[in-house]
Amino acid sequence: MKKTIRVLIAKPGLDGHDRGALVISQALRDYGMEVIYTGLRQTPEQIAAAAIQEDVDAIGLSCLSGAHNELFPEVMRLLQERGADDIIVVGGGVIPWEDIPFLESKGIKKVFTPGTPTVETAKFIEKAVFERDGISSSKGAATPPERIDHIGIAVSSLDEALPFYVNQLGLTLEAIEEVPSQKVKVAFIKIGETRLELVEALSDDSPIGQFIQKRGQGVHHVALGVSDIQSRIDELKANGIKMINETPVSGAGGAQVAFMHPSSSHKVLFELCEKSKKEEA
Amino acid sequence: MDKQQRLKNWQEKTEHLMNRFPERKERFHTSSDIEIKRLYGAEEETYPIDKLGLPGEYPYTRGSQATMYRARFWTMRQYAGFGSAEETNKRFRYLLEQGQTGLSVAFDLPTQIGYDSDHPMSRGEVGKVGVAIDSLEDMEALLKDIPLDKVSTSMTINAPASVLLAMYIAVAEKQGVAADKLSGTIQNDILKEYIARGTYIFPPKPSMRLITDIFAFCQSQVPKWNTISISGYHIREAGANAAQELAFTIANGLAYVDAALEAGLEIDDFAPRLAFFFNAHNQFFEEVAKFRAARRMWAKLMKERYGAKNPKSWQLRFHTQTGGSTLTAQQPDNNIVRVTTQALSAVLGGTQSLHTNSRDEALALPTEESARIALRTQQILAHETGVADTVDPLAGSYYVESLTDELENIANEYLAKIEQMGGAVSAVEQGYMQREIHHTSYETQKKIENGQEIIVGMNKFTIENEEQPELLRVDPELGEKQKRKLKTLKSTRDQNRVSAQLETLRSAARGQDNLMPVILECVKSYCTVGEICGVLREEFGEYTGV
Repeated sequence: MKKTIRVLIAKPGLDGHDRGALVISQALRDYGMEVIYTGLRQTPEQIAAAAIQEDVDAIGLSCLSGAHNELFPEVMRLLQERGADDIIVVGGGVIPWEDIPFLESKGIKKVFTPGTPTVETAKFIEKAVFERDGISSSKGAATPPERIDHIGIAVSSLDEALPFYVNQLGLTLEAIEEVPSQKVKVAFIKIGETRLELVEALSDDSPIGQFIQKRGQGVHHVALGVSDIQSRIDELKANGIKMINETPVSGAGGAQVAFMHPSSSHKVLFELCEKSKKEEA
Repeated sequence: MDKQQRLKNWQEKTEHLMNRFPERKERFHTSSDIEIKRLYGAEEETYPIDKLGLPGEYPYTRGSQATMYRARFWTMRQYAGFGSAEETNKRFRYLLEQGQTGLSVAFDLPTQIGYDSDHPMSRGEVGKVGVAIDSLEDMEALLKDIPLDKVSTSMTINAPASVLLAMYIAVAEKQGVAADKLSGTIQNDILKEYIARGTYIFPPKPSMRLITDIFAFCQSQVPKWNTISISGYHIREAGANAAQELAFTIANGLAYVDAALEAGLEIDDFAPRLAFFFNAHNQFFEEVAKFRAARRMWAKLMKERYGAKNPKSWQLRFHTQTGGSTLTAQQPDNNIVRVTTQALSAVLGGTQSLHTNSRDEALALPTEESARIALRTQQILAHETGVADTVDPLAGSYYVESLTDELENIANEYLAKIEQMGGAVSAVEQGYMQREIHHTSYETQKKIENGQEIIVGMNKFTIENEEQPELLRVDPELGEKQKRKLKTLKSTRDQNRVSAQLETLRSAARGQDNLMPVILECVKSYCTVGEICGVLREEFGEYTGV
């Protein structure tokens, strides 16, 4: 049976603005969570005690008065002191961007700034709780990619480009192969844990051929290493990310690959890339 | 009296009035040199004179004064305050130099909830959303070199309103300004704190007593002071729609009137000093209509229900602030445009004073530059657009008049419902308004999230990789500094006098006498906000929410 997530929404300090706290409480309830709202003017002690007593999975702290830098870390400290630091804590309110790294360094999992859709907050909490409990999520936000598998660089000619990488930089050429599905020839160059992939077009109408005609040689794509590529694609699609390949295609080195549409990813062309188990080992 | 006669009388009266309060210009005209008349429409055959009245006349649909902004622009009153009293004093003097015409004090949350800066509950909050005031010493620093006989000051203070008003009177006295020369406003509206804003201390009954004590005290001692600012602003910010803002504000107003009458005051003795405070939100015409409907509703209620005789009791005068919750954190410069149209609706609705929000308020407290742009927005509306050159220019618009009528109707339905529940106090205690507001606010949120309502730059027309603007930071050491200051004060003041005054306050709280004179003596003895409210907490108990 699926676990029902319990969340405490709390207003630390003296701030009386609870429109956001009330809205997020109801939105999380509508999402299927059990929500306890503390009401106004809670001390960090009261919040930590309530969270432990109510045995919640997560706490949402809301503060619009500017007291967050003092009160949020105090809640974290108290949770830790009482051995309850497995509770996922997120925050929201009027919180300047520059304070967010500090709060995250104190253990706040995420700070949601004004304008965040409530469903995004709900999904984040759900995923964080499921991850903590080792439950695989069905509708949470996408599982993060695990590594940079390689960086793709478009070149006019492998023969002309390779000497720079191998002779000047002194890197190791791993393999050269043709990839019929993309009408390209690629050279993998090993660098630390990852690779550079030099890509030469085999015909002018291939994606790389068109890229070079339009923009010249240069960095073409970043490949993110994932496992279970089809479910990663499904998750991204569910979150509104446009995919160029909605099902994986065969890439170089026997990998399964799929490209994301750059319009969804701030103009960077990303490739999801799943290597076969043998390759990984 | 027939319509033409009324109009003639109005014209004569207005001309007469102008001898004392002349208009800004001899002649108002457009860029094409078309003369702008003071008033349009009233001479028309079909003019509904009973419904609209004439400006400055019952039922005040068209404005609370005859010449409105042709005589004097609205008061430009920017809400400000942060950090220490000294810093805020600097910001006030800056705003006055920049042409602001009234002050508006923001207090920090500990002050608003009656805790001193060294109270454990004050942790992290000192000086954050406003200025920290612990004792008369801080108030003296806050108002240093500001001539209190010349500026009017609005103070956003509710549960401890008596204490802060007493401090203001005491500082003025030290400046040599008598209390009857002081003008300004205290918010003093506890009902909307229970409903929407959250800075309550005491339960409703003693809270209402503190309020009516202020009404009575000011009537004789500080006659030019607005004793309350009945606020729809925060109700709207909490998520209400325009009709709910209108209805719940007026319902609260009626509760204060009833409480004052019950305390033995005469309607015409306190009603002229009641002021209102509304929100100027995004839907332009609806906002204009709301302000007009509010004036008409209040006038009818005061005259017909309560039998007030003094026209000043019928007049709803109001302050407006543009809607803080309409500001986006994304692309903050767009907020300047939102603020401009909201401010325009307030001006076309006939506001007496106006605060325009700064563009960066969804991110932090405004920087000096943002605060200046906000003030300039009002100055541009006043001096460049000509919107202030005739009275109530939107009157007679089919749309605006129809919206005005409809808002009045919906609000009246709410009023009837609240009355059935036993009035605003008991409706608040039953959580009725809170539930209605939450319902509307959640519906709005859903509409924004599914794209039915578009917020430019937030759920549509977004941009990637926004640059983060520079934000104002409050001195993080302030809490400690303020604690040290308080410690020094406590070791240097006359402790016996303090204890004696606090005991006098305690027994007064147990009795029936007006608490204002006692509180005034307390603040003059340098009792702190926390000490005074502490005694009252012990005597009155605390409100803990619904």
